[in-house]
Amino acid sequence: MRYVGVAAVWAYRFTLAPFLGVGQCKYHPSCSQYAIDAFKEFGLFKGAVLAAWRLLRCNPWSRGGVDYAHDQKVFR
Amino acid sequence: MIVASILTPLEHLLRHILNGLHSVGLPWAWSIVGLTIIVRMLLVPLTVKQIHSMQNMQAHAPQMKEIQRKYKGDRQKLNEELMKFYKENNINPAASCLPLLAQLPIFIGLFYTLRHFAKHPPPGNLSWLHFVPNIAQHANAHWSGWILISIYVLSQFASTYFMSGTMQQSQRVLMMVLPFAFIPFILRFPTGLVLYWMTTNLWTVGQGLITRRLIPKIAAPVPQKRTSRTPPKEAQPAGAQAAAPAETPKPGPPRRVKRKKKARR
Repeated sequence: MRYVGVAAVWAYRFTLAPFLGVGQCKYHPSCSQYAIDAFKEFGLFKGAVLAAWRLLRCNPWSRGGVDYAHDQKVFR
Repeated sequence: MIVASILTPLEHLLRHILNGLHSVGLPWAWSIVGLTIIVRMLLVPLTVKQIHSMQNMQAHAPQMKEIQRKYKGDRQKLNEELMKFYKENNINPAASCLPLLAQLPIFIGLFYTLRHFAKHPPPGNLSWLHFVPNIAQHANAHWSGWILISIYVLSQFASTYFMSGTMQQSQRVLMMVLPFAFIPFILRFPTGLVLYWMTTNLWTVGQGLITRRLIPKIAAPVPQKRTSRTPPKEAQPAGAQAAAPAETPKPGPPRRVKRKKKARR
């Protein structure tokens, strides 16, 4: 099931990302890589929540930085 | 489709805005251009924030290049060191995913809206500038679509050029090549969607041009001030050391005042 999420991210990378012009993320593993890691480690549902939370944090008012999916603080 | 049902309210909203612009007297094609401009104007506050952080990046560019030279071989380490540097210097990197993704629902919503247009053509003029016969048709239905697509590819090039300030060379090349790879897909898009994407890219280019003008204007006075201050210090080497620490606390008080203002808000 979790590979559905991974596949969705790859589909996004090859189809929509070029249109949007997403170049470089301000976080270290980029948002899409973070999503792939999160799906692989936490499954489809938790991974989706983590990816969504990461995307919300990746806004112009945040600082960015090194942030691995493995070190998440949402699910404990 | 699940995506379609989620986006239905947005699709209705977009159609309402389009209808509104059309009822004011704009032809459908110009209504799409107008809708694009409205969307981009709503994104301006985000963009201004990005321009500020770009200026900050520009100021710290030499140090960042030094880090990039240091960890040239190890990309993982390089990224981590860069991020550490951002944090130490309070830099907010210009690139962030959310403002870009904010365009995604609008893009998909507009796709469905224009597909609906193609199935049930609305009354009124669907041509644009006398050379696009029907904006609801697929882009490859008429030679004018090819012109729009070539403008789209060129504008994509130009906007990539402006947006890819800190991007790596290989990534930049990929971003430049991909618009060509997507031409076969774009051909099946309604022409109106190509029109939307062309307009939004041209807006990005315009913004890039304005930003480029703004950055040197703000960045230039800073080194000038420093050079005007340094000569007298160098003339009196003993006094320079005493003057330098004395000057540093001076910027302190106004900063505190700013913080207090923020706290009151």
